[in-house]
Amino acid sequence: MDVKRKVDIIRVNPQDWPNGTPAGKAEDPDHGHDIIPAERYFSPDYMALEWERVWTKVWLLAGRSDDLKVEGDYICTDIGKESVLIVRQSDGSLRAFPNVCLHRGNRLRPEGLGNTAEFRCMYHHWAYGLDGAITRIPDLGSFPQGGPPEGRLPSLPTGEWGGFVWFSLNPDVEPLADYLGMIPAHLDPYHFERMAWKRDITVEWDCNWKASMDAFHENYHVQGIHPQLQWYLDDVNVQIDCYDKHSRYLVPFATVSPRVALPSSIPPAIDHMMRHAGMDPAEYEGRVSDIRLDLQRFIRANASAQGKDFSELNDDQLTDDYHYSIFPNVSMNIHAEDIMMFRQRPHPTDPGKMLYDLWMFELVPDGEEWPARVRHQHFKHGDKSLGQVLDQDAFNLPTVQKGMQSSAFKGLWLSDQELRIRHFHHVLDQYIGGARAAQADNKQLGDNECN
Amino acid sequence: MDLGLTGKKAIIVGAARGIGMAVAEILAREGCDLAITARSEDGVKDAVANLRKYGTKVIGSAVNVKKADDYKTWLAETIDELGGCDILIPISSSGGGMGSEKYWHNAFEVDVMGPVRAVEAVLPGMTERKTGSIVLIATTSAGEAMGGPQAYNAMKASLITWGKQLALAHGKDGIRVNVVSPGPVEFEGGNWDMIKGTMEKFYTNTLRQQPQGRLGTPEEIARAIAFLASPAASWCNGSHLVVDGGYTNRTHF
Ligand code: FES
Ligand SMILES: [Fe+2]
Repeated sequence: MDVKRKVDIIRVNPQDWPNGTPAGKAEDPDHGHDIIPAERYFSPDYMALEWERVWTKVWLLAGRSDDLKVEGDYICTDIGKESVLIVRQSDGSLRAFPNVCLHRGNRLRPEGLGNTAEFRCMYHHWAYGLDGAITRIPDLGSFPQGGPPEGRLPSLPTGEWGGFVWFSLNPDVEPLADYLGMIPAHLDPYHFERMAWKRDITVEWDCNWKASMDAFHENYHVQGIHPQLQWYLDDVNVQIDCYDKHSRYLVPFATVSPRVALPSSIPPAIDHMMRHAGMDPAEYEGRVSDIRLDLQRFIRANASAQGKDFSELNDDQLTDDYHYSIFPNVSMNIHAEDIMMFRQRPHPTDPGKMLYDLWMFELVPDGEEWPARVRHQHFKHGDKSLGQVLDQDAFNLPTVQKGMQSSAFKGLWLSDQELRIRHFHHVLDQYIGGARAAQADNKQLGDNECN
Repeated sequence: MDLGLTGKKAIIVGAARGIGMAVAEILAREGCDLAITARSEDGVKDAVANLRKYGTKVIGSAVNVKKADDYKTWLAETIDELGGCDILIPISSSGGGMGSEKYWHNAFEVDVMGPVRAVEAVLPGMTERKTGSIVLIATTSAGEAMGGPQAYNAMKASLITWGKQLALAHGKDGIRVNVVSPGPVEFEGGNWDMIKGTMEKFYTNTLRQQPQGRLGTPEEIARAIAFLASPAASWCNGSHLVVDGGYTNRTHF
């Protein structure tokens, strides 16, 4: 690694935190060193395969449980050419169904949130109950064949974990818990349900959804795209862990990258982090390189007085970025007090475009009022700023998308620092090749045999 | 031109990096015996080892200027060990910062009382020998607004006033006191290095304000300091030299 200094990052001893997020290093998978073929980023054929073998097969993130508090609350979310309604029922359960009227195919609701007693189609007023059953067909007598015989919108699998709502377009999908695998054990200690919406933005980006996933799967681009972050985090001493489908890396924050000289004064972003925790940077007598551990101690000592319960988190989690990705399309920057996450969705028809959902949540300390739901914003790439770091990514990705289509570019030439990219594409290949679907079927068969 | 520094004994407070380090380097090269200090133990050790290559006597140990007793002890012992002090350059600074009253205390203790305590420690010997040169380091941010209302600028400004008073009071004893105000200076690990990395716009705006389109180097400031510190500057007393490549707008009538 091209560094200016040798930096020893002290991490927690995983054995000291047996009940928390497993902090130990997972064994690296051997995915070889081949290129990842470029074609998958722009080929319509590959896009069709992805639709058939990934998007319609896996569990997908829909939104937040706290947007579905009472009966009739619903989330309407699009994926590709499909749109889905997820509705809170009178018994507290969730039901999901396609957002389409069985009469002439009108969408029942625009994307977004709402509360309703029924879903009445605007076009000819066919009406559906919260459970998706047809409740009224105006002038039913004028349909000699009667109403659609099933009498309802088809049901889709839906579920909740971690304060988030999930659905699948695959009626035979494995149980959500099986799909998520190690994720709940790793992330439950953060108690996402104690965090409230801070930002909810959708941006249309001019790149394939995987180009965005790739960018959030490595820290190698910090020196190029986000040079300012070198005075905030250590992009070199990053622990990368790949699991069955998902992966993570642990990035030390409140420290200065070995790629730049250690400053004698506290960098602005670290100064900000200290103040946020209630620590006065002017009082700080230690060296800049000592701040991370001192900040961890300070937060540990003061959190409960601030109404923040971090008892299930290890010390590193108090400062560092535990960055997880949940296959296929969720990237989460997770910190003790906030999440900055991205849901990358494919464009319905164009492999060169995507929908980038930026979701941010912040811990609501005990005794503080739950804030009002932020409004969802939707805009096109470049129309508005997302903040410096995300603008830097957004600015860069369209040129990646363009460049990858050159006949001179055969595919991604990856380093060890980009192992998560390799892992992601490995899992993607398994789905595309059918290996994953078969696994899921076997699992279901096995489960059924046990029953 | 011979600066006449050979054989002089100099104390530099804050010599492990940046301008202080560059001054130490020049003085050692010019034949001064040196005593240096800084906050960081490793920093001082490395600097001493490096400075010894010029063959003069170089001593040094770490001290926290904010700890008045430790600092005074260091000064007394150092003057003793060095066998007197002809040149004093106290340059340590606690740096900028806003939003906490504590920054005022830090700037007062380090930027003001750092030099005050050092000057008081060397004055008796200089007065006795009827010779001595002191260079105080202020900043262009004292004369022109920069970086928002903060303790750093105001405390540094006090050195310019105090330096003049010292010059007037001790000139009769052969002691010269001058002030150097550097403009923005860039070096690896320095503030402007970090600003370049973290606040690109602010940095490029600052470059635009520099007639030569670049920031200063520690050596460029250090040469001015070394000159004022040296016997070659025998008729400079009570002067305030702005060394900024033309960064500031003010005319000095
Ligand atoms: S399309 Fe919905 S009622 Fe006709
Ligand atoms: Fe990025």
